[in-house]
Amino acid sequence: MNLQRFCLTVLFTAFALLSFSQSDSIGHISGSLNLKSSYNSSLIYPGARLGVEYGIKQINPAMYGSSAEKRNFFKDRFISANISWYHHPNFHDNFYLTAGWTTRKTKSTGFFTEFSPEIGLSRTFLGGTTYQIDNHGVVSIKKLAGYFYALLSVGGGVGYDFSKIKHKPFMLFCKFNLLAMYPYNSTIYLRPAIEIGLIYKLPHFHKLKPKE
Amino acid sequence: MQRQILVILLALLFFASCQKEKVTLGTNVSETFYLDNAGASMRISVEGNTASRTFLVLVHGGPGEGSLVYNTDYIIQHIENKYAIAFWDQRNSGASQGNSNGNNLNLPQMTDDLKKVIELIKYRYGQNTSVFILGHSFGGLLTSSFMTADQNQSMVKGWIMVDGSQNYPLNDTLSRQMLLTVGQQQVALNKHVKEWNLILEYCTAHPGHFTLTESDQLESYAEDAETYMDEVNQFNLITAMETISIDVDLPITSIIFNYLYSDNAGFNATLAKTQFSSLLYKIVIPTLLLYGKYDFVCPKELGEEVFNKIKTNEKRMVISPVSGHNFMFQDPVLFCIEVDNFIEKYR
Repeated sequence: MNLQRFCLTVLFTAFALLSFSQSDSIGHISGSLNLKSSYNSSLIYPGARLGVEYGIKQINPAMYGSSAEKRNFFKDRFISANISWYHHPNFHDNFYLTAGWTTRKTKSTGFFTEFSPEIGLSRTFLGGTTYQIDNHGVVSIKKLAGYFYALLSVGGGVGYDFSKIKHKPFMLFCKFNLLAMYPYNSTIYLRPAIEIGLIYKLPHFHKLKPKE
Repeated sequence: MQRQILVILLALLFFASCQKEKVTLGTNVSETFYLDNAGASMRISVEGNTASRTFLVLVHGGPGEGSLVYNTDYIIQHIENKYAIAFWDQRNSGASQGNSNGNNLNLPQMTDDLKKVIELIKYRYGQNTSVFILGHSFGGLLTSSFMTADQNQSMVKGWIMVDGSQNYPLNDTLSRQMLLTVGQQQVALNKHVKEWNLILEYCTAHPGHFTLTESDQLESYAEDAETYMDEVNQFNLITAMETISIDVDLPITSIIFNYLYSDNAGFNATLAKTQFSSLLYKIVIPTLLLYGKYDFVCPKELGEEVFNKIKTNEKRMVISPVSGHNFMFQDPVLFCIEVDNFIEKYR
């Protein structure tokens, strides 16, 4: 792997994410901790995903806009850490760790939309026995053959927060993610993934209240 | 901590088990393995009758196209029922994987890859295995490189060239000449006059000593020209891929990005000057040459040159009257009959 390119990519993305997350800062409230688990289907291929997200800010625009602008929804900001995997038979298993930033806009009815960019590291495991042959024709099997890639992911989705009306501490969501891995054969590799999952709000973390 | 270590070990065991060696001898086998060489892990999918111990290594075109698109229902029913086909995705093609390996994308390295693919098949299925190689389009150049290097041809029982090229500069000259000749005939017949006049104008303005850009443009016109011919059984690559993508777990985005990279890679400039015509005399093993009558991309005169220069009497050339550049898709009946007969005779 071209280490210099990899480091530059990671630094650039981290800087972009950090800048983005601070762009409309009104005030940080440390708060909720959510656990996420989902079926991580890469189109027709199965996978799974586990993650945690930590609330860093909640905004209720009704408290800041004029009366004409008042709207009944909340905006939450989270930082997240995720571990994901998908299985593409005969191609590879991809196991990737990501850190991300999530913005979620929840209506009073409980329906929400979210957007989340993530960066991370991918390790693939090739989908078949992998052989090496030296120049004398001696064949050997390469164990755990596969590659490391820098990974960027951008995703958006919709869901329903059962805590808003039914006072249950979980949310259901469906999300589309686009993964980009680099350097893949000296170019990039793009892969769509669909998440369908559950977010559980840990009860022992205090409930967020908008900061005035 | 111990629990975390246990989880990691279990995960590693899971992935390791996916990569466990499995060699099957049967009449309807489908198995996949990889060859790791010089920064690339190249996928090899073996389909068909491995019990026959007769393997046809398919060397696809491009550079950069994948191999599994050739695994059509007709070929499954008429070749793979008798022999096995090894669909090899060349480096930076199809489902082959790697990191920053573009510096190794060149013809000598790919020739070494092909040699190791054959060695690997013999390692897995037995040293007494009969191996044939089939090169299509760019695969013709790659197999020409393989066949004329060292003692490589002794590793295979026969060579099949399908709409292939052993000489890119000559290829350009022949394509241009065919476009001019057929184009003038078609204009006289009042068929696709506007399209042909555009091609004729370009060919007239570019008489020879082609740059890579001119060579690419000629190839583009050659691909178009085939679609203007009523006599040709038209073939649509996208439609073909749609029908097989899920069955064979094609990694679509890998195929697309690998193709885009390879098609624009720097080594194409070297390929444009590459020829093996002067080395064909070295070839002494049985050879089958299959060309489309309406192949403007690799005109049949390329096959005639191979036929005339190789030093073997065990050779045969067949022209399909309804094919362009994709004989196996456009005239599958004739293709399978000829390949079957050739393999049966020399295996």
